[in-house]
Amino acid sequence: MKNKENITSENHEQEHVSSYSELFGTWAALIILTGMTVFISISGANLRTLTIATALLIASVKALVVGFYFMHLKFETRLYRIMIIIVMALFTFFLIMVILDYLTR
Amino acid sequence: MTVAALPQTNFFQIKKGIFSWLFTLDHKRIGLMYLYSVGLFFLVAAGLGVAMRLELLNPGRDIMSPQTYNQVFTLHGVIMIFLFIIPSIPAVFGNFFLPLMLGTDDVAFPKINLLSYWLYVLGALFALSTLMYGSGPADTGWTFYAPYSVKTGTNVTMAVLAAFILGFSSILTGLNFIVTIHRLRTPGMGFNQMPLFAWSLYATSWIQLLATPVIGITLLMIVAERVFGIGLFDPAIGGDPILYQHLFWIYSHPAVYIMALPAMGIVSEIIPTFAQRTIFGYKAIAYSSMAIAFVGYFVWGHHMFTSGMSGPAAIIFSILTFFVAIPTAIKVFNWVATLYKGSINIQVPLLFALAFIFNFMIGGLTGLVLGAVAADIHVHDTYFVVGHFHYVMFGGAGFAFFGALHYWFPKIWGRMYNMRMANIAFTILFIGFNMLYFPMLILGLEGMPRRYYDYLPEFHTLNVVSTVGSWVLATGLLLMIGNLIAGYLKGKAASANPWNGITLEWQTSSPPPLHNFDKMPELTKGGPYNFPNAKSTHKK
Amino acid sequence: MTKTDLTMNHAFVLPNSGHKFDAKASKMGMWLFLYTELLLFGGLFIVYMAYRYLNQNAFLLASFELNVWMGTINTIVLLTSSLTIAMSITALQKGDTRLSIILAFSTILAALVFLVIKYFEWGAKFEHGLFPGMDHYNSLPYGERLYFYLYFFMTGLHALHVIVGGIFIGVVIRLIRKGRINKNRISLLENSGLYWHLVDVIWIYLFPLFYLIH
Ligand code: HEM
Ligand SMILES: [Cu+2]
Repeated sequence: MKNKENITSENHEQEHVSSYSELFGTWAALIILTGMTVFISISGANLRTLTIATALLIASVKALVVGFYFMHLKFETRLYRIMIIIVMALFTFFLIMVILDYLTR
Repeated sequence: MTVAALPQTNFFQIKKGIFSWLFTLDHKRIGLMYLYSVGLFFLVAAGLGVAMRLELLNPGRDIMSPQTYNQVFTLHGVIMIFLFIIPSIPAVFGNFFLPLMLGTDDVAFPKINLLSYWLYVLGALFALSTLMYGSGPADTGWTFYAPYSVKTGTNVTMAVLAAFILGFSSILTGLNFIVTIHRLRTPGMGFNQMPLFAWSLYATSWIQLLATPVIGITLLMIVAERVFGIGLFDPAIGGDPILYQHLFWIYSHPAVYIMALPAMGIVSEIIPTFAQRTIFGYKAIAYSSMAIAFVGYFVWGHHMFTSGMSGPAAIIFSILTFFVAIPTAIKVFNWVATLYKGSINIQVPLLFALAFIFNFMIGGLTGLVLGAVAADIHVHDTYFVVGHFHYVMFGGAGFAFFGALHYWFPKIWGRMYNMRMANIAFTILFIGFNMLYFPMLILGLEGMPRRYYDYLPEFHTLNVVSTVGSWVLATGLLLMIGNLIAGYLKGKAASANPWNGITLEWQTSSPPPLHNFDKMPELTKGGPYNFPNAKSTHKK
Repeated sequence: MTKTDLTMNHAFVLPNSGHKFDAKASKMGMWLFLYTELLLFGGLFIVYMAYRYLNQNAFLLASFELNVWMGTINTIVLLTSSLTIAMSITALQKGDTRLSIILAFSTILAALVFLVIKYFEWGAKFEHGLFPGMDHYNSLPYGERLYFYLYFFMTGLHALHVIVGGIFIGVVIRLIRKGRINKNRISLLENSGLYWHLVDVIWIYLFPLFYLIH
């Protein structure tokens, strides 16, 4: 699941210090995304499934922004990104298989 | 505290008194506290198992009412699963030996380790409290299937909360081990120089960490449904019971690997030591642990073939299930290859390891029968299933647990048990085990359903065999435990390395000092199982 | 027995001792814990998706009962609180303890604002008898009941996490004051930040699921 490289690189890693402006920019991006998703919801009230997809898509972009910048995933060793990808892939698989059961019943 | 730790002051002597145990941060003491608790619950639940077999000696009612029988098998299942087998090897031997094998002095978070033990105790108290009030322990089976678990008047809420708390304890143990393995390996020990037991714990910990929360939340939903009367899983008021089964098995199938993987790790330790030979296919065994953990997440649907899940989903889950056989078989072949041409020293731990392979093969192959949709529809919820999972959990994981106990006994207590007696106990145990459970496989094929206190007269003979088997097994268990206790009390002193093992735990004294090592442990050159004087016929 | 006297009374200490403080271990432990939180809510998410699929119209109708504006305001409040705790970490890394404490404190304030708004939202639902077991709730079709059940369960569990996160940050502030958390030993503050961001991420999903998907 992991290769040697990122295991050794666990040990020499520099602590990243986010600048205030970087954090502020992140926040602004999040607010804009929130505005977008609210706007789509109010204006396109009869899009149904499309709104589910877009709403979840925007939510995921927001989650990524929080993860990468606020939670420093971008600056951590690769190990952390690999782990979160595996966790999310696993969860997605759970979801897909359960829904698949319902779709094919 | 005045004792300056001389090399011969071991972790038992350094501090005395009950509180020095209950609030210890020493991983070895926490491991032993787990051992005593887990052992106690095993005996309680084994007693319940023998009682059930007694009821099944003859058709019709023998010693308990149908309702009591329902509660007894539920309690037996809940205790065996949540209080015995899941914490058994990781929490006992993982705690005790992972830091030793990695060449460090404790786990990464000693306080969280202690917390995890106390959560275990709390969960156990919750589970036992169901005996004390209301209409007694749950009668749902250990699976707590909705909607019955929502409707029954027995103490399901409490039992479910117990499972929730025990799950939390298990998560914390897993979390601790993952960080320990990443951060505390002795300098020079890369992932690929780790003992295979550590690898198997690593894989197990990831399952504990990622699967347990799903059942946690599911059980909370059962509680909420019972308290607020919401139709979350009750079809009569809009819910879908199959959704409960999905969520339950998303955890509980991987949980089978929480039981099996550490057991495989134990076998991978015992076999090279008693063959005095490099393990065959180190990487294959190590990575197949990860593969089993991974694939194990994708097969939960094989428990639901008859429950109304869709046909296509059943077929997909069935195919995925067969894939688990591949990494499992890889391990078995490698163990056997390790033994081939080794200088085999037949001792009790090795016998347990071989019994593991034998029993686990039966468990695994019957598992394939259950994993095939068509065959499963025939044997689902029969004694075939009961036989199958006892072969996996008891014949597999349970025997590996006993094997580990015999393997590491001299290291933990610095004494040796009576070998002859251990051999005799093992033999009786092994015969009793197979006598108890093999008939169940046949009974299942003949159509005897599980979870009933009664059966049709035509099943009588084999049930008698099985019940007598339970007595043989119980005799073997008592002999084994008696022999170990006798060894603990007055066994001969054991040397630091009685089996001539070469993983790091054998480099320190027996019992180990408080901080495990009095000097830097030395890594074996050429991998953790590179026996110096072995006829080296293969190199990985 | 504290960590120090455990190591003190022994001549030899391993370089890789588990009793030494290790910032990286601490961070890794926190992340692993966050994964369990993700999967905890993940289970609920699966339930939501399954029932949404089975009761599409009912979920749609029920979702109009929620107030989008309150949800939006709460989203902004939480995002802002995430900003302040992230800035608090930067401040402490730069050695500005006072600013760090003020920022962490504003995060707790934001948490309180969030909870107050939630309180009014839930209060309105209670007035309409929409809490599971109440009269109006019991008269609804099954699909809508499931929706409100999930609404209360998921936002309730989330609110619980907000409270826990707030307390965590409160403890951290105390420790900063005492100097136990400082520029060189910042792990606990970082961990409380990670936890807080996770609470935010979960809300990022809950918000569209309940308020926006019309
Ligand atoms: C002394 C040894 C044991 C005996 C005599 C025994 C016997 C039994 C019997 C008779 C049943 C009930 C079958 C039925 O009516 O459906 C049962 C169920 C079960 N046993 Fe054991 N067992 C033993 C050890 C174990 C061990 C070591 C484990 C796990 C590690 C275990 C796990 C279970 C589970 C999970 C169930 C299913 C309970 C349910 O249906 O909800 N048992 N056992
Ligand atoms: Cu399974």
